[in-house]
Amino acid sequence: MTFQVAYNILLLQAILPHRFFSCVSMGIKTRVSLDSRLSPSYPEFFERIKPQSPKGSFVGYMLGKGGKRKFDEHEDGLEGKIMSPCDGPSKVSYTLQRQTIFNISLMKLYNHRPLTEPSLQKTVLINNMLRRIQEELKQEGSLRPVFTPSSQPTTEPSDSYREAPPAFSHLASPSAHPCDLGSTTPLEACLTPASLLEDDDDTFCTPQAMQPAAPTKLSPPALPPEKDSFSSALDEIEELCPTSTSAEAAAAATDSAKGTSTEASAQKLEGPQESRADDSKLMDSLPGNFEIMTSTGFLTDLTLDDILFADIDTSMYDFDPCTSTSGTASKMAPVSADDLLKTLAPYSSQPVAPSQPFKMDLTELDHIMEVLVGS
Amino acid sequence: LKCTEKYVYYLSFQSKSDIISTVEFNHTGELLATGDKGGRVVIFQREQESKNQIHRRGEYNVYSTFQSHEPEFDYLKSLEIEEKINKIRWLPQQNAAYFLLSTNDKTVKLWKVSERDKRPEGYNLKDEEGRLRDPATITTLRVPVLRPMDLMVEATPRRVFANAHTYHINSISVNSDYETYMSADDLRINLWNFEITNQSFNIVDIKPANMEELTEVITAAEFHPHHCNTFVYSSSKGTIRLCDMRASALCDRHTKFFEEPEDPSNRSFFSEIISSISDVKFSHSGRYIMTRDYLTVKVWDLNMENRPIETYQVHDYLRSKLCSLYENDCIFDKFECVWNGSDSVIMTGSYNNFFRMFDRNTKRDVTLEASRENSKPRAILKPRKVCVGGKRRKDEISVDSLDFSKKILHTAWHPSENIIAVAATNNLYIFQDKVN
Repeated sequence: MTFQVAYNILLLQAILPHRFFSCVSMGIKTRVSLDSRLSPSYPEFFERIKPQSPKGSFVGYMLGKGGKRKFDEHEDGLEGKIMSPCDGPSKVSYTLQRQTIFNISLMKLYNHRPLTEPSLQKTVLINNMLRRIQEELKQEGSLRPVFTPSSQPTTEPSDSYREAPPAFSHLASPSAHPCDLGSTTPLEACLTPASLLEDDDDTFCTPQAMQPAAPTKLSPPALPPEKDSFSSALDEIEELCPTSTSAEAAAAATDSAKGTSTEASAQKLEGPQESRADDSKLMDSLPGNFEIMTSTGFLTDLTLDDILFADIDTSMYDFDPCTSTSGTASKMAPVSADDLLKTLAPYSSQPVAPSQPFKMDLTELDHIMEVLVGS
Repeated sequence: LKCTEKYVYYLSFQSKSDIISTVEFNHTGELLATGDKGGRVVIFQREQESKNQIHRRGEYNVYSTFQSHEPEFDYLKSLEIEEKINKIRWLPQQNAAYFLLSTNDKTVKLWKVSERDKRPEGYNLKDEEGRLRDPATITTLRVPVLRPMDLMVEATPRRVFANAHTYHINSISVNSDYETYMSADDLRINLWNFEITNQSFNIVDIKPANMEELTEVITAAEFHPHHCNTFVYSSSKGTIRLCDMRASALCDRHTKFFEEPEDPSNRSFFSEIISSISDVKFSHSGRYIMTRDYLTVKVWDLNMENRPIETYQVHDYLRSKLCSLYENDCIFDKFECVWNGSDSVIMTGSYNNFFRMFDRNTKRDVTLEASRENSKPRAILKPRKVCVGGKRRKDEISVDSLDFSKKILHTAWHPSENIIAVAATNNLYIFQDKVN
């Protein structure tokens, strides 16, 4: 069997004039169609921060536009004024950057429908990226309602975005502290009443609505942009993937566990031991399947939890009587049962026994979660 | 030989359809094999230098072409198995035939490439066209004789090593004992004997019990050039492990662990991804290993595990573009790296059809381009420069003008001479140093 010569020889040297070589006239064909030039948006976005008009649209359209949401666009008054020196464009741009990368990572995992098996290395690297971001978000989420003044390093993020994240957790903790000073009612500020969970996603976008009793409560400036982006990210994620609700309980439990790990982790977040310890908790909730990368629920359960529970004081789940499903002993700042009772009393019609309202609300929350997530 | 030695365009080949996915010289440099995305292998052979033209080097011409792998379908997973040739490795020549290993994602094949220039003639039972004769018509017997014929090069698959890899094979490496070789996929490394195709030994397994805990994969592996018990493998977390097969049957515990501590000033979201090692190569001497990650090439001394002895920046100007490169997947490109014959110069590819050479002794480096425009006879390759900051000089190219679809992932260096083969998409360029 003869094989057709696959290559045409193109010899341009004149040293062998006695041979004749045919010239190749075909242009270069590639099967790969890439955007061969870098999209100009990213360099611009990361180098020059520009204002941007639509509030929540940046997330889904990050690929085309760059921009930064200014504080006074949606979080006016309080938020804008209270911007402390430690936060600033660097923190916000870092958050935006992180959110962008988060979305890109999700899209990579779930929009891709290859005929051949996707590269495991690529999948693992994207997953690791998502996990790191999620862990950061969790830490930030857990820090907001609870600020245990601990020996956090107080080095402030420098102005350039590039130096902003010297350590992933490094940034989250200092930002929380200077702003959360002396809040008296952390729970009221952060606890989302169960009834409100049934409402529109907009609830999450307007923290003021959730904190009627705490005008002086200062969420870290990172909070509002995150919520906003969370809601749009939430929409995106809901579009993309089905989820299961089995993860929420475990996720919520791990949320509280994160609170402790933050303090310990002034160093690199991605130290293998640490990530492994975290991962072991997180992994219970991840039904990811590396063998066959299908789109079902790889990290989305955790993602949604993170988004939805970001502002919810998970100390609710800390009470032993009601954490039968979530096993991990949690550690948040000690919360007085009275505070909880006060907040929850309006929602339960029965006379309140210490443990009962929590159980009820747990199941109620689970039910609401299911509805929201649309499983 | 210094790397700033001028390189001259020599010749190039273009595949009609497919992207070249691997390039490899054999141990003498006489043969150059390329594999492409369509599962084909093309072997070039260097012409013997004729006595009349001593001052000119032999040139490479197509020697053999064959279809090594075909696309397959995995019915269990409903996924295609690509026929793309991931790696080719030559065996040292032991007789008149040439042997090479070629692999796609799942199956390794041993090919024998041999020449046939004689043909037996004079069979008793067949006539010259091969038709059977009626035995009743045969009255005499004769002994068939071999008569010369036109040279024919044939490739035959001698062994097929299949069904041993659940994940995608990224590397194969022939052992210095020439009796065994290893194949590495994302999570496992298997040791084969060339003679045995239905069995392989698993020597490394990093698959976690729970796949959801998976955070690291194997990216490349290679045997030590002289010690048949030693091999290294690299990971997606930027680490290299050296293993000794004498220590235990399953080399999950490394003998040496090479990792450079992260530079905190360069930390970003993409630190892990850009630290993923895409290629690892032992030096010819066996004293050093070279690793390629997204932005750098590093040379490690086997005796020092805590950091590389040399680090070369390939295209550091991409550091500020990592998000875009993540978005368009370029950040996952797997660049290879090669040593020259004397281990004094290392070479690797970049974007825009650029490739870089670093002279380890003089610490000088050069950027060259593999393109049609440069491909005039005996044209000396002009060093290129990427302009990073504001002012762009006349011949420089700015970062934003780089063509990221033109990437040079695969290069090869002749084992003893300064002849390099560079694969640019579906073009193969061969350059040699300037001969006066």
